[in-house]
Amino acid sequence: MSVHVSPDTSDSDATDRGTQVPVPHVELVLSVEDDLLVLARLTVSAVASRAGFDVEEIEDLRLAVDELCLLVLRGRRTGRLVLAMAIEPGRIDIWCRYDGTEDPRDAGAEDESDLSQRILDALVDEHGPAMLDGRTGAHLCKQRALADD
Amino acid sequence: MPAPKRTVTTEPSFAEFAATRDPRLRESLVEAHLGLAHQLARRFANRGESHEDLVQVASVALIHAVDRFDPDRGFEFSTFATRTILGELKRHFRDKGWAVRAPRRIQELYLELGAATDALAQELGHPPTVPELAARTGASEEAVLEAMEAGQAYRATSIDAPDRREGTIASRLGQIDAGFDRADNHQMLGAALAQLPEREQQILRLRYVDGLTQSQIAERIGVSQMHVSRLLTASIARLRESFAET
Repeated sequence: MSVHVSPDTSDSDATDRGTQVPVPHVELVLSVEDDLLVLARLTVSAVASRAGFDVEEIEDLRLAVDELCLLVLRGRRTGRLVLAMAIEPGRIDIWCRYDGTEDPRDAGAEDESDLSQRILDALVDEHGPAMLDGRTGAHLCKQRALADD
Repeated sequence: MPAPKRTVTTEPSFAEFAATRDPRLRESLVEAHLGLAHQLARRFANRGESHEDLVQVASVALIHAVDRFDPDRGFEFSTFATRTILGELKRHFRDKGWAVRAPRRIQELYLELGAATDALAQELGHPPTVPELAARTGASEEAVLEAMEAGQAYRATSIDAPDRREGTIASRLGQIDAGFDRADNHQMLGAALAQLPEREQQILRLRYVDGLTQSQIAERIGVSQMHVSRLLTASIARLRESFAET
């Protein structure tokens, strides 16, 4: 497992558009093991907290990142998962890709994928296939609900 | 018991139900989406709760989703229902007692967070953030996050599970506290179900937990399908009345 946190000063989507302040990036590389998904959830929770998300929204994100990983893994049990996160105030973007050589397992994959998509529809604002480090993966974005105050 | 197949809903049915509130239409809408409830319940498997309990929670949430869905708002029902069901399942675990393999300080902090979350939500008018919870409980933000994560690993509650506020959950029973304002549907459902005749409880279980069709239930208990339909309609109506009175 490795964790990399760095300021990203590029003018990409990861830069705060309003203030041009560099936005912290977090990259997490995990072996594909169920027990390590807890680290993905914890990291996402911590990053989302920095972006001002409340506990309900963080709970949503924890479920969502599980689904994102499931979508990317498609039943694979070896290799590594690469997650990247970027935040702006009230917004978090998460990318996930598989890094390994195992082929996806297709048994039941369609139903599972359909359910994951449905869950993501319910929990986040945007999600879909995306490129990360030049390889195909998946992305989600969640924005804070409008504050009451 | 296999989950029922999910079937696609047609929006006109929801529009018709919104206009008529026809109980039979309502039942058919619930029936058409029971597969979704089963699927989502399975997502929370292996966390110490029986599958039947989870399906029950998810099914009740589905009924609420059917009742509250507004087809004019432009959302897919499946999205709305998924959100409603996930919310109920999360609440089910969050408000359940504790018997998890986590350090005692984390168990205690988690219990404290539950109370602090409720209190802060009332005070602030929105769910609290992690820093707000940390400030209220005196814990670090990291500890709050750790406790929240550990909270996903629930097991069945013990009535003697630790409760920092009052020593044990048992000692808190019977008191009025903020948690009662948002008492779980599954808890209310349990009480309401207990008031129903045994046969109606059995039919509801067969229908919404085991996923049997009305015809299968009729065959199993030796009555007509129409009679099962009437009993289901009456049972759900009584449950709704119980919920409304709570």
